[in-house]
Amino acid sequence: MTKFDPFGKYFSAIQNDSFGFVSQNFKLILICGLVLSILAAASLTPFMTAQSQQGKQVTLTAIVAEPKDRWDTLFANALVKLREKHPDMTINIDSRILPYADTRKQILTSMAGKTPIDIVSVDQIWLGEFAEAGFLSDLSSLAHAWNRSSEWYKTNWDGGIYNDKVYGIWAWTDVRSMWYWKDLLNQTGVNPDSLKTWNGYLASAKKMEAALKGNGTQAMHLVGASHSPDMWYPYLWMLGGKIVDQRSGHPQKGTYWFPTYNSTEGVKALQFLKDQVKAGIKPQIDHFWGQEFADKKFAVMLEGSWLLGHFPPDEWKGLDQRIGMIPAFPVPKEGDTSATMMGGWMLSIPETSTNRDLAWELLTIMVQPDVLAPVLEKYGYLPTQKPIGEGAYSAQLNATIPYYKEMISMIGIGHSRPSIPEYPQIADNIRQAIDEVYLGIKEPKQALDDAAKKSAQVLGWS
Amino acid sequence: MLERRTQRIQPYLLLVPSLLILTVFLLFPLLWNVYLSVHNVSLSTILRDWKYVGPNNYLSLLTDPGFHSSLKVSILFVGGSVTLQFFLGLVLAVVLNQQIRGSNTLRALFIIPWTVSAVITGFSFKFIFNDSFGILNYGLEQMGLNPVSWLSDPSMVLWTIVIANMWHGTPFTMLFLTAGLFSISPVVYEAALIDGATKTKSFFHITLPMLKPFILINLILITMWSVNFFDLILVMTNGGPLFASTTASLYMYRQAFEFGLLSKGSVVGLFLIGVNLVLAYSYLKLFRKDGTEVEVARV
Repeated sequence: MTKFDPFGKYFSAIQNDSFGFVSQNFKLILICGLVLSILAAASLTPFMTAQSQQGKQVTLTAIVAEPKDRWDTLFANALVKLREKHPDMTINIDSRILPYADTRKQILTSMAGKTPIDIVSVDQIWLGEFAEAGFLSDLSSLAHAWNRSSEWYKTNWDGGIYNDKVYGIWAWTDVRSMWYWKDLLNQTGVNPDSLKTWNGYLASAKKMEAALKGNGTQAMHLVGASHSPDMWYPYLWMLGGKIVDQRSGHPQKGTYWFPTYNSTEGVKALQFLKDQVKAGIKPQIDHFWGQEFADKKFAVMLEGSWLLGHFPPDEWKGLDQRIGMIPAFPVPKEGDTSATMMGGWMLSIPETSTNRDLAWELLTIMVQPDVLAPVLEKYGYLPTQKPIGEGAYSAQLNATIPYYKEMISMIGIGHSRPSIPEYPQIADNIRQAIDEVYLGIKEPKQALDDAAKKSAQVLGWS
Repeated sequence: MLERRTQRIQPYLLLVPSLLILTVFLLFPLLWNVYLSVHNVSLSTILRDWKYVGPNNYLSLLTDPGFHSSLKVSILFVGGSVTLQFFLGLVLAVVLNQQIRGSNTLRALFIIPWTVSAVITGFSFKFIFNDSFGILNYGLEQMGLNPVSWLSDPSMVLWTIVIANMWHGTPFTMLFLTAGLFSISPVVYEAALIDGATKTKSFFHITLPMLKPFILINLILITMWSVNFFDLILVMTNGGPLFASTTASLYMYRQAFEFGLLSKGSVVGLFLIGVNLVLAYSYLKLFRKDGTEVEVARV
């Protein structure tokens, strides 16, 4: 039997050849080493000289989420103003712009590894998790001295607060509303007003599905993707329900969050999703964030205000002739107040920042109305501050962004998700409940009760 | 005397860089994972004190229904993927090893799926199998058939992913076994032919036995890859619907990086390492029984 000896051949070859090679060419190796050292030293010298000549050179580092253009514009405009304020310094920004999911991962790994980062873009639902972990700087005293908090819409300012401390400034937001193709509704004989109530919505779905069958367009869009809870929350909120609520008696924390989404309101809200499936609306497991609507794959879609971004800006003028927008989610009955979910991005300063004051200055410049408003106008984002939403800048935004006024009106009925560390797991439990109802495995009450039990465990209640 | 000693030590010194790399990139993370697994570390507590919890994380994993379900999914996924990849790869390798025109070109074409990253494969198949707009359902509808819920039906989704994985992974088996086939001397087949052996007999009595070392290594590799595989699934379904496509590796990823439960993720990771080692050992044991150890060493 042959012995398995993978190193034998190599060792003998090394013994025979390599040792001889090294000893015979020792001088040559030494000279090569010296040359490499001289080259390395020469290449480093100019860099070191430049460093010493420009002693006040500062590079602010940032991790932000795609799309890239918006940050490029915003950073460039803010940097001009920051440099004007600090003529004695050479300030630059080194930004890493990443896809959504990678942004969170990159921020987490950078913070856990204590990498110095000066500014990060934080999705509202990450704030609690990051703040609880000690990744973000407490900006309360800086924000207090800044004295602009009252200029923010309350929900938007509160979104940046965790445990009574300010950890982020909400830069812009988005709202979800109902979009429809006017020609398709005309063609199917559906009155847009009928979409406003639950019963009307279901009846319209059936009518449109029958009329549009076979032409490649589906009547209504229903989210079945990983963010399906986001599109269920508005129904919960409009009925007066909550995702979680503070409750006393927590085994470790005294008073802490408790899942309340399995309330009567929650069950009723989930029943409406079930009714949609019964009415023939198919949950879509793939989501293209409004592109499917722009491609006319759906006649009606509940989607965020970013949907407009799927239409070229030169088509924005007159877009309201082709597509309609109802600034609400369908309500149980006429006269009820609707609700929507607000998302968007916050700006925060990590605890690891080595230029905290300068980063704060940059952050405040970035959210100055004269710097931020042109960016919102260009990309169709909604403001979180009243001076842009209602003040002098609103006229320009209103003239440029279709349905701007209607979208702004939704901020009043906008809610945000809880920014607590356990939220991702709670959302996963809710998503499971929604899937179980979609697939007819469980009734809404059973599905929500089972999910809430798991969420309670996640929150440390058992 | 000194020179002899130096000569003896020198090979080991030359191994030092490789060993250092292995220590830094393999041994250290492994030990770090073990350390994490006996502490209670989440993203919320990572910068604070890490509480020692002993075997609690391991014990809680044993009673975690989510993990149990992911194990079942993994067994089906690995079983399906390895079986399909292996048999299809073997058939392709054998067929293309015949003296047929264009076999080299076909071989090159068949390798393409393996060169495409799993993420791109995932996205491509996600669009192909899309329930509403996928080309497959479009084709079915054009033929008057009902569309299939490839990715939204819990009983169907895993097999859809297995198909995508088969497309992605089969070329490796084909390539690997082709290398094995090339190593078999044609003289053996000529001798068999003279002795009256049919092609089928040659395949079962010459090709397969002589390919055994290659088959073994191929099976070990594709099994390990399938156990650890998660990027394609992440892209295609993110484990849904209803966790029907959440394999143990994806479960590990989600626990650690989506929910920030680093200790729990570490425990699952260590469990998967154990599974890989057991599988590799089982294959080796199985083939040793057949007396193929020598050939394995040669491969």
